[in-house]
This record gives sequence, structure tokens and C-alpha cells, in this order.
Amino acid sequence: MSKRKAKDAHLPIGECISQVHQILRKRFCHQQLPVKPEGVEAQHKHLAELLKRTAVHGESNSVLIVGPRGAGKTMLLRSVLRELSQETEVQKNLLQVHLNGLLQTDDRIALKEITRQLQLENVVGDKVFGSFAENLTFLLDALKKGDRSSSRPVLFVLDEFDLFAQHKNQTLLYNLFDVSQSAQAPVAVVGLTCRLDVLELLEKRVKSRFSHRQMYLLSKLTFPQYLERIRDQLSLPDDFPDGKFAQEWNAAVTTLCEDKSAEEVLQRHFNSSTDFRSLHMLLMLCLSRVSVARPSITPTDLLDASRFCLADANANMLHGLSILELCLIIAMKHLNDVYEGEPFNLQMVHNEFKKFLQRKSNSMYNFEQPIIMKAFEHLQQLELIRPADGASAKTQREFQLMRLMLDHSQIMEALQKYPQCPTDVKQWATSAFA
Amino acid sequence: MAASLSLPPRITHSLTPLRRTNRKPGRRDDVPLTPRSARRRESQSEMDSPPAGDDPSRTSSRRKEIQTGTEPVLEVLDEEEEENGALRVSRRKSALKVSSRIRKQLNLLDGRLSSDEDEEEEEFVPSRKELQSSDEEEDDDEGDEDEELAAKKSRRSSSSHTKQKTRTPRKTPRKAGPITPRRHRHATPSIPNRAQPARRPGNILEEARARLHVSAVPESLPCREQEFQDIYSFVESKVLDGTGGCMYVSGVPGTGKTATVQEVMRCLQHAAEQDEIPPFVFIQINGMKMTDPHQAYAQILQKLTGQKATADHAAALLEKRFSNPASRKETTVLLVDELDLLWTRKQNVMYNLFDWPTRRHARLVVLAIANTMDLPERILINRVASRLGLTRMSFQPYSFKQLQQIVTSRLNKLKAFEDDALQLVSRKVAALSGDARRCLDICRRATEICERSAAGLVGMSHVMQALDEMFSSPYVAAIRSASTQEQLFLRAVIAEFRRLGLEEATFQQVLVQHQALCRVEGLQPVGVSEGLAVCRRLGACRLLLLEPSRLGVLQRLWLNVSQDDVLFALKAD
Repeated sequence: MSKRKAKDAHLPIGECISQVHQILRKRFCHQQLPVKPEGVEAQHKHLAELLKRTAVHGESNSVLIVGPRGAGKTMLLRSVLRELSQETEVQKNLLQVHLNGLLQTDDRIALKEITRQLQLENVVGDKVFGSFAENLTFLLDALKKGDRSSSRPVLFVLDEFDLFAQHKNQTLLYNLFDVSQSAQAPVAVVGLTCRLDVLELLEKRVKSRFSHRQMYLLSKLTFPQYLERIRDQLSLPDDFPDGKFAQEWNAAVTTLCEDKSAEEVLQRHFNSSTDFRSLHMLLMLCLSRVSVARPSITPTDLLDASRFCLADANANMLHGLSILELCLIIAMKHLNDVYEGEPFNLQMVHNEFKKFLQRKSNSMYNFEQPIIMKAFEHLQQLELIRPADGASAKTQREFQLMRLMLDHSQIMEALQKYPQCPTDVKQWATSAFA
Repeated sequence: MAASLSLPPRITHSLTPLRRTNRKPGRRDDVPLTPRSARRRESQSEMDSPPAGDDPSRTSSRRKEIQTGTEPVLEVLDEEEEENGALRVSRRKSALKVSSRIRKQLNLLDGRLSSDEDEEEEEFVPSRKELQSSDEEEDDDEGDEDEELAAKKSRRSSSSHTKQKTRTPRKTPRKAGPITPRRHRHATPSIPNRAQPARRPGNILEEARARLHVSAVPESLPCREQEFQDIYSFVESKVLDGTGGCMYVSGVPGTGKTATVQEVMRCLQHAAEQDEIPPFVFIQINGMKMTDPHQAYAQILQKLTGQKATADHAAALLEKRFSNPASRKETTVLLVDELDLLWTRKQNVMYNLFDWPTRRHARLVVLAIANTMDLPERILINRVASRLGLTRMSFQPYSFKQLQQIVTSRLNKLKAFEDDALQLVSRKVAALSGDARRCLDICRRATEICERSAAGLVGMSHVMQALDEMFSSPYVAAIRSASTQEQLFLRAVIAEFRRLGLEEATFQQVLVQHQALCRVEGLQPVGVSEGLAVCRRLGACRLLLLEPSRLGVLQRLWLNVSQDDVLFALKAD
């Protein structure tokens, strides 16, 4: 089929929509690597040169990539590795070991993982044999025997690098950096972390052996660039099977980005954070409303998605409470106001509630103590209140001091939307007296 | 007895090879018996028991474990006479497959396996088993290894009587069998080789980079001649006299301690080859390269004699070795790197290390390296510190002239740097730490920058850029590139600190300020959840220090950057 015919092919709308979903979900949810990482060209080049020198010349190196969460550190590394693997010399030679500080919580586990990934001689299939001491000696001997010009270089990628610095004695880090500074098998140690003060975590010996090469991924995105990025993320690629649909879709995306209300929403998100992850979550929510009946993203979609993202979690939870529990919360709020944040216990809250009942309640009446207790416990389970510090099991339940985990504004916001809230309760919330 | 065999108890204390005839029976090592070695021999004799078909599962289990042993049996081929038992051939298919795999691997590793040795392949299994058993003995501390082996055995061994032979009941002593000679377990761990050799440096800058790499240690270290001389004369005198002694070398990281000592030992070994001084043995251990201080014993033993043993056993053996006036004529020089990591609460390891040289017949010279000058006074108990003695040597951090000399001597007439660029680097590094590694790394980075900008020599601009990169503190840049809400939050934190007059505040208090600031800036006031997210992001980068986030709005926060820096960063745009 000629290209022109393929472009003119018309798929049924359902097929188009499912294709759109597939492509965009891969981008948002599956961390698909972009064709070219944007905004990090200098770092990309630096890292690529570094790894290439290790792979080709056998020069040992170590580098730390530092950036806030969602800045694209892992994406940068993966894109560099993808670019390098297209060179045969690198692909044939470079051995890779990927470690993650959250998975390998201990040096022992990390060593087993390294041994397994390098498929050293004490590995059968996936099982590593030997004790911690043996694994360490084995690995160190293996690396020591290596040589700059004849051994395959090894790339160690340490994700969540700051967690490795919390292992005992920092043995693994010391040894890896020591190998990178000795005339042994060439290694490249790449650490990824989000802590800016990561060097302070390293012991002085480890720090001395680290080459102090750091790459910072600090984005300097402006709002127009942010809009451009959204447009790129939402656009369909050129090789979409139905060309006409793709054109319509891309045009709709462009109008969306230029829409006033949408821009306001996006500005709000941009002010909050500029990283990829939160952006992807927002766009994912918009995408999930796309269906055959509504085949494009409208500004209202964006507005709803934004409201969903930025909604207050606790305020939403308050909507599910019973009236009694809500009254208890309001009583706690008043106690906080009067006593300026001092912890309270059930008896105090109950007294406050009784005061309200005496004064002006028409709809509520007094409940038994066990029912109040149960309501209180429910609030504790929902973590809307938590025991104040130093609460021991010695005091009786009714007298244990608690603190409220909600803010004034959250309670008021929840009350406004609470379904069928009695008016006297609402009035009570606004002022304790009167 | 662990191995109460249901089979007729054929206690073979001697080597009764069932197949191999060229094995010398009764060859023993003079290793003293300990429960574990006894156990091992017991297991050996288990292997000697009845012929194939009896316990195929056990054999195969052993074989499988052995196959996973760390060492191939290459060097064991040389020591075949030490085999003390034949193994029957298992009839089970899986075991045959495994044994053929082992054979194949051995063939791969060592082409000189002749055909007549092929049939003896199966009999090398006991060696593997031995390896695995001494493997096992090493890590009695490793419970997981035991469980692992026990699990393997229980999985694989179906018959009941094999279960009795599982090694898990380590507590039950095995019958004292023949002493099995310890073989030299030469591991051949290795990283695979590359297809073609690495590319040589092409141009001058690449050559400079190769020479400036920290690993390219020169034959003779500049600026450490005096220290070299002192250590050399100390060790030489001890070797010539045939006595022992201790020396303590200290200095901040990167001052050339280990390199100097190794250079001394190289020269001495050269002199020993030339017969100028009596021969000696040089071994080195590193406190950071072991998982537990007691492993030091095992490592020293292995490097001295090639024996593998558990830490306790090794300690006993070394004690015996250094106490007895054996016919040993060679001095042993032991280099202990990162001494402070060998600290234990009772300081046994360090005590022994410094006590052995004081024995008359030990002839042990210990060179200990650490970072702190007053380590003996600070953390060593009196008796250990007194055994360490007063022979101390302190390596001072390099001055800028010395650093310059180091770099120049590395480059060795290679014209790659401008002089003032080099001087700038040396001065900067000398002012900060005097660490030679930093200096070399910065110079290397400067050559990379220069190469990228395609200039000729490495000049001041490149060096300053490298210094900037490697010495920079990213906080100001991070604040500048934070989002609007994050910057407002930082401002709110400072405002709240000012209001309270403290250096800490709760999130709730800061949120009030934050919402006020939002109104001032004309932005929509931020909700609690959004505020918490902003706060959490700042805490992840460590611009703020937070309490655990389960405290929600009640968590306290502190600034990790000084207030002036924050204001400076926020002002500059």
C-alpha cells in the first residue's frame, strides 16, 4: 500500500480513539522515552561522552545526577543508554548493573544483585551462592583481576543513591569508588538522587574517592515552554494510521492550549510544579474522559481534571462522616480556637458538644457515651485526629489527649458541600458562641 | 551423630578410593581438628560410603551445590592426590547431566584435560563438595546460607536417610573422620574480556587525561620522598633483623599513604629479588573491604597460607602460627588499611594484630593506616595502644606547590596545561583539603571542557569552569529553578520564622503565611493538600528539613539553607 493510501485510510472512530488511548497512555503511564529529551541537552551530552569514554577507552569514572523528583534523571540516563547502545562498540562491550536503593536495602542484598547481574561464576541461573563476605571478596577479586585495556567495562547505576549512603560503613560505595580510582577493571558509577545535600552523606574516605562530578537537572522552564511541552505530549505522532483524524486531533489540542480558561488552569499547575510527573497525571485524567462520544479534549475536561488533582483530600473525606462525627470535629475546632492548639480528649469534646446542644440545637440530641466514643474512634481510624506525643496506653481511652489533623479552612470547605447539613450545625461551625 | 546412616556403617577413616588408584591414601595435612573440620571429614567419609545407586539424590544434591561453588576445579587438578575419596557415579539422569556439564566447563577452562582424566571427572566432585563444605564452614554466621543449603537438601533429597545427613544440625558433632587436607581454593572470578582492546589515547588532551587519572599511580611518588625513606628504613631494618614491629601511618584521605607504602614494598621486593635483603612475604588487607572485623583473620590466613577457614578457626591458626617457633624464616609484612574499621567493642582483632608482632618468633611487621592522627589515644584501649607503639608517621595534606609538582610530574613534559591554570587549581585544592585526588579530578575535568570547546591548551577559563562545577553548591540554583508556589512557600517559612522568632515552625503556621502571600501576589490561595505537596517536594530536595509526613499539617519544618541564601536566590530575578 502506498504511503498516500495509508494516510488516507479511514479507520472507524472507535478504532481511532483506542489507538489514541494506547499511544498517549504509553507516554503518560509507561514512562516511554521521548525521542529527544528536551531542556537537558548539555547534561545529555556530558553523560553520553562520559559513558562513551568508559566503554571505548576504558576510563573509569563516577558521576552523580541530582535533581528534584520528576525532573527526569532516570529518563536522561535511559535515553543516554539508548543512544549509546546504537554504537556497536559500546553495545558489545559495556556490562550494566542496575541497582535501586529502595530495592537493595542492604549491602548484602546489593552484592547478591550485582553478582547476579554480572553473572559471575558463583551464579547459577538466578541463584547466587556464597555468604556476604564471600560475595564481596569474589566481586572485588573479579574486578581487581581486570585490566583497563582488556576487560569489559562495567556500568553501575545506583538509583536512590542517598539510600546507599545509609548502609553500614558505606562498604559498597567505598568499594565501587575505590575500583573506579584504581587500575582495575574499568567501571563507571552513576548515582541518581534527589537530595541536594547528598555529598554530605558520604564518609570522608568515600567522598575522597568520588570524583565530585555532579550534574544538576534543574529546570528553567517558562510558561510558554510549558504550554509547548503540553502540546507536544498531547499531539499524535505523524505515523498515526488515520491521517485525517490525527490532524483534527492535533488541531483540537492547539486550540485547547490557546483557550483562556484552559490557560488559567495550566498556569495554576505550572505555578505548583513544573515536573513531568504531575503533568502526566493531569493529562491522564483528561485523556480518560476521551471516548467515542467525546473524541477530543475540551477545556472543561481540563478544568475538571485540575479540580480533581488539586482537591483537598481530607475535605473530601469529611463528606463521608456522619452528622455526629462532623459535630465532634466542629467541637474540636472550637477547642483549638479557644485553647490555641492544645491537645484535647474525648471528655472535653463531649462537653463542648453538650454546650452546643444546650444552647441552640434543634436537630441534634444528646447521644450516649459509648456512641460518642465510637464516633471518636472512627475519627481516629480515619487519621483525622491522632494521639498527641507521649500518649501512653496507661490513660483511659476517654482521657487520652489527641490533636486534630485538619485545618480550619478544610472544615469550612467541607461543610459548604456537605450534603444535607443541618443549618444550626453550620451556624455553630462559623462561631462558637451566639 | 548427625549421620546415623541406615546403611551399614562403613566408617572409612582412611582414603579408600573406590575408583582412583593413584590417590595416595593417608595424606593428611597437619591441621588441627575442630568440630567443623571434623564435620567436613565426616561428610567426606559419607561420600566414601557405598557405591552408586544408593544415594543418588545426595550425590546430585552435592553435585549441584558444588557446581554452584565459587571455584572451578582447575587448580584442584594439580592436587588430585589430595582427594580422599572416590564418588560413585549416580545413575540419575539429572545427575549425569550435571556431571557432564561440569565436565564441559572444565574442558572449557582447561584444555589439558586428557581423556584418561575424563573418567575421573566425577571424582572431582568431592573436591567441589569439599570446596562447598569449606565454603559452608566460612559462613557459620550466615544463617541464610545454612537455610539455603538445608532447603536445597530437603528439596532434593527425597529419601529419608539423606535427611539425616543434612547439614542443618550443625550443633551435633560429626564423628571424627580423617583429616582432610585443605586445598588451595583458587577462585577464578573474572569480568569477561572485551572483543577488542580499548582505544588508545588519540590526541594530547586524551593522553593528558589518561595520565591524570587517579589510577595511573607513578612508579615513584613525588613530594613523599621523606616519608618513603622513613617507612623504607623501618621495614628494611625489621626484615634484616628478623624481628617484628608495628608502625602507624595516619593522614587525611588523598595524601598518598597507601601508595607510598606500596611503593616501599615494591622496592623492598625488588631488593629481595636481588638478594640484598632476606626474602619476605607481603600481604595487605583493607578494613573497608571486609564485611566484619573478624573476617580479617580469615583474609590474613588465606593470603598467608591459602587456607580457607572461618574467622574463629583462622584466628586460632594464626595464633598458633605466630606463637610457635616454627622453621619459618621469612618475615611477614602486613599492611592494614582503614584500621579504624577493625574496631570491635572488645578490640580483639586490633589487639591480636598488634600483639602478634611482639612474639619472639613471629617475625611479623604490621603497617597500619588510618585517617586520624590520635586514633590510638582516642579509640584504642590502653593495652592495644601500647602494643601499637610509638612508631608513628603522619602524612600532611599537600601544599599547593606539592600539588603542582604532582600534576606536572604526571604530565611529564606533555604540554597540555597553561601554567597559571595549573597554579589556580593547586591553590584552590590546597586551600580546601590538600587532597591529591581532587586536584587530579579537576584537572581531568578541565581537559574535557577544553576538548569540548576545541581550544589548544587548557586555560584559565576551562579550569575555572571545572572548579565551579566541582565545588558548587546547588542550593541557590535549585531555589531559583523552583516553581512559583515553592518559592512563595520558602518566603512564607522565613516570614513565619521572623514572626515567631524561632528557627522552626509547623506547617499549619507556615500555610497561613503562604496563603497571605498568595493573596498579595494575586494568585489563588493554595489548599492544604496542595500546600502539603509543595512542602513535601521541598523536603525531598532537602531545601527544607521536615518531620515525617504522617504528621500532616502538624509537622514541623526547618530550613536547610541559610535565610540569607534563600533571600539572595529569590531576589536575583
